[in-house]
Amino acid sequence: MDKEEDPRNGDDHVTATKKPKLIRFITDSELRSEFSHHEAGVARINNGSFGCCPGSVLAAQRSWQLRFLQQPDHFYFSTLRPNLLRSRALIQTLINAHHIDEVSLVDNATTAAAIVLQQIGRRYAHYRNDTVVMFRCAFPAVKKSIQAYVTRAGASVVEVDLPFPVSSNSEIIAEFRKGLSRAKSDSRKVRLAIIDHITSMPSVVIPVRELVHICREEGVEQVFVDAAHAIGSVPIDVQQIGADFYVSNLYKWFFAPPSVAFLYCRKSNPSSCETHHPVVSHEYGNGLPVESSWIGTRDYTPHLVVPAILEFVNRFEGGSEGIMRRNHEEVARMGKMLAEAWGTSLGSPPEMCASMMMVGLPSKLHVSSDDDATRLRSHLRDKYGVEVPIYHRAPKNGESESEPRDEHGLITGYARISHQVYNRIEDYYKFRDAINRIILEETNLME
Amino acid sequence: MATHDNHLNGETDTNSNTHLAKKPKLSSPSSFITLSEIQSEFSHHDPAIARINNGSFGCCPASIIEAQQLLQLDYLRQPDHFYFNNLKPGILESRTFIKQLINAHHVDEVSIVDNATTAAAIVLQRVAWAFAEGHFDKGDVAIMLHYAYGAVKKSIEAYVTRAGGCVIEVQLPFPVNSTDEIVHEFRKALERGKENGRRRVRLAVIDHITSMPSVVIPIKELVGICREEGVDQVFVDAAHGIGCTDVDMQDIGADFYTSNLHKWFFCPPSVAFLYSRRSPSCLDLHHPVVSHEYGNGLAVESAWIGTRDYSSQLVVPKVLEFVKRFEGGIDGIKKRNHDNVVEMGQMLAKAWGTNLGCPPEMCASMIMVGLPASLGISSDLDTLKLRTHLRGNFGVEVPIYYRAPKDEEVGVTTGYARISYQVYNKVEDYTKFRDAINQLVCDGFTCALLSK
Repeated sequence: MDKEEDPRNGDDHVTATKKPKLIRFITDSELRSEFSHHEAGVARINNGSFGCCPGSVLAAQRSWQLRFLQQPDHFYFSTLRPNLLRSRALIQTLINAHHIDEVSLVDNATTAAAIVLQQIGRRYAHYRNDTVVMFRCAFPAVKKSIQAYVTRAGASVVEVDLPFPVSSNSEIIAEFRKGLSRAKSDSRKVRLAIIDHITSMPSVVIPVRELVHICREEGVEQVFVDAAHAIGSVPIDVQQIGADFYVSNLYKWFFAPPSVAFLYCRKSNPSSCETHHPVVSHEYGNGLPVESSWIGTRDYTPHLVVPAILEFVNRFEGGSEGIMRRNHEEVARMGKMLAEAWGTSLGSPPEMCASMMMVGLPSKLHVSSDDDATRLRSHLRDKYGVEVPIYHRAPKNGESESEPRDEHGLITGYARISHQVYNRIEDYYKFRDAINRIILEETNLME
Repeated sequence: MATHDNHLNGETDTNSNTHLAKKPKLSSPSSFITLSEIQSEFSHHDPAIARINNGSFGCCPASIIEAQQLLQLDYLRQPDHFYFNNLKPGILESRTFIKQLINAHHVDEVSIVDNATTAAAIVLQRVAWAFAEGHFDKGDVAIMLHYAYGAVKKSIEAYVTRAGGCVIEVQLPFPVNSTDEIVHEFRKALERGKENGRRRVRLAVIDHITSMPSVVIPIKELVGICREEGVDQVFVDAAHGIGCTDVDMQDIGADFYTSNLHKWFFCPPSVAFLYSRRSPSCLDLHHPVVSHEYGNGLAVESAWIGTRDYSSQLVVPKVLEFVKRFEGGIDGIKKRNHDNVVEMGQMLAKAWGTNLGCPPEMCASMIMVGLPASLGISSDLDTLKLRTHLRGNFGVEVPIYYRAPKDEEVGVTTGYARISYQVYNKVEDYTKFRDAINQLVCDGFTCALLSK
């Protein structure tokens, strides 16, 4: 998919990383070697949850770790900060942020959420009767963070339903507008909208640029985009997206070791100077990037390997864009293959996904609760060597025609399959066959 | 009486040999770690450096690093399986070991966090909420030591001062001659805090071993005073505690107690525990990084704060195995570290004609040694410059403290080095430092000569 036509981000995104002149691209066998530490015999089709890290980036990390252990004082005084700055600068370019001060490195999106929400909560000490808008399917940690910092301070939360299965962006936009209007009712002020760039479960790419625009039109004070899955999955241009805060994990789709994420804080947002890392060190008050660069003694090496990641990524044809494009094409292909094999359907059209896709599971599996979904996942892992998260989707309208169904009944379970560079078609065949086996031999066990 | 004295009981080691590990007794069934094994365990340390600053960043033996790498690999192989099956039991095992080490009564009282800085944020954030939600009155007091760690001071500013609390600092004398001096100042500050009963002292934040300048605080006594004087809660910042001094939760009696395991307990960076005494008011302690475990108790919350590398927290049981290879285990290590740092401190003070910052019984495995006045240390910046100079030009790593002269003081020592002693140190590390300073003095060096 040509990046200019990519509907997931809008206009041109400047490819910012210089690609070295390569003699050749990474070979299949080199690729296998990079991920040779992955457990053999497991169809690892869940890159979305915990990501992956190639051997060469791990080696770079270990080298940093050793340098710290050799002479930690020297590392602290001379090595750490300049190299954190280097990582931040590379990310700034990747995401098209205007100022490097807008880019902080934190552990993960969960930490970023705490940072943003703690700041909102402080402001709410003075404003009751205000609202925060988010998707009902927002990541559980983010929901709890809202409870801990925002609800506790007195504001109320309005949840927007995500239509699923979904067939177009306009469905999402319509639902979002409805939610916003509910949040604004009774003259309430919407202090914050939290919008996923790519939802976790069920996974769909959200038209985030449009939604941020609507938020601005409707007077929402701050917009926080939780893009945990975005970097390495979809192109990111924070100018285009226009949010106040934007976070993405580098260890999910961008080959970083656990764990590192960037939090972008738009400079023009008035509360950006009131945003602090909750773990306070002597750097308190020196700006979030500097605060985050030292939160006490710990292993900061995942934050230092961004240059090694770019080296790795540039060994692929098309670099990061090439990887994203191929992952997308493959996951769409695999999703289609599975849906056809099982007689089911996809959760969204291919253009509304990136490198993950929701594939309907046969109704005969009778996935009728979250517990069923968890049990099925464990069963697939333990008995069939397939790692894939399962989503339970309760029917909304009884047996109505609008409900997703297959030949035998309602589709209430979806698998979220991922595709990353290490995946092979055999991984998905293994999954296909496992489900077919279960239906054939074990359906009574699922009831 | 501070329990840190316990390790001084028994015979002192008068062996002035540079090799400090005891040779294994031929008749004993198992042999202790040998000197060459110790050297091997720490062979990754930069050999060109006299590393006499274990206090800042600690150390980690090679066998623990290896154990940690296996855990990391385990995760990378199949992270979902690791998350669902290995992580929680592993953290619980580490917490259980720590509970035993520190004599806590319930494993629920023990949470594992990154470091003392994080623990401070946890305890202090609760104070901020108490102010915000009206449980504390504006102007209620938090007490801390003047020598509280920089990060903790900032945390108090962020979570107490900003929330409307009033902060009182206990001015501690330094150099210090006895624990009485500290107790006296503490009582004075408490009086100021209470203001004749007009306001409540909600929290006392007390270091077990201060960082700079480093002194062992009579913590048990101070906790007792806090109880007498009606202080709501006591938080002991014992960043340097475990592996350095005696850490017994029942004996010390604080409400909250934190210590880093990566400083003196051979863990990789980074891992610390936060002990929180079981009581109704401790139910609302939360990790500031909120995950889906929010509300399940601090220990459970801290065991999952999003995807990250928890291997340093999981490797704790292996460290106990390492420590047992030394005669007397961790207690033996503490005692020998103490005896050696005192001996080295005295050697340096004698060589330079200076003084120690406190008597030996008020230190554990670190000691403050006065630096010659001719070096002209006259600011905090000077100490940084001198430290950098010692690192870059002499291969000595040691933090320096500036002790400003008080009114009408003349001819006092203004610079102190905080020397540490850990199992990998040798006498040569300290003679190298001694000679470096002597060289500087001889050359007529002063800090004023160093450019910014």
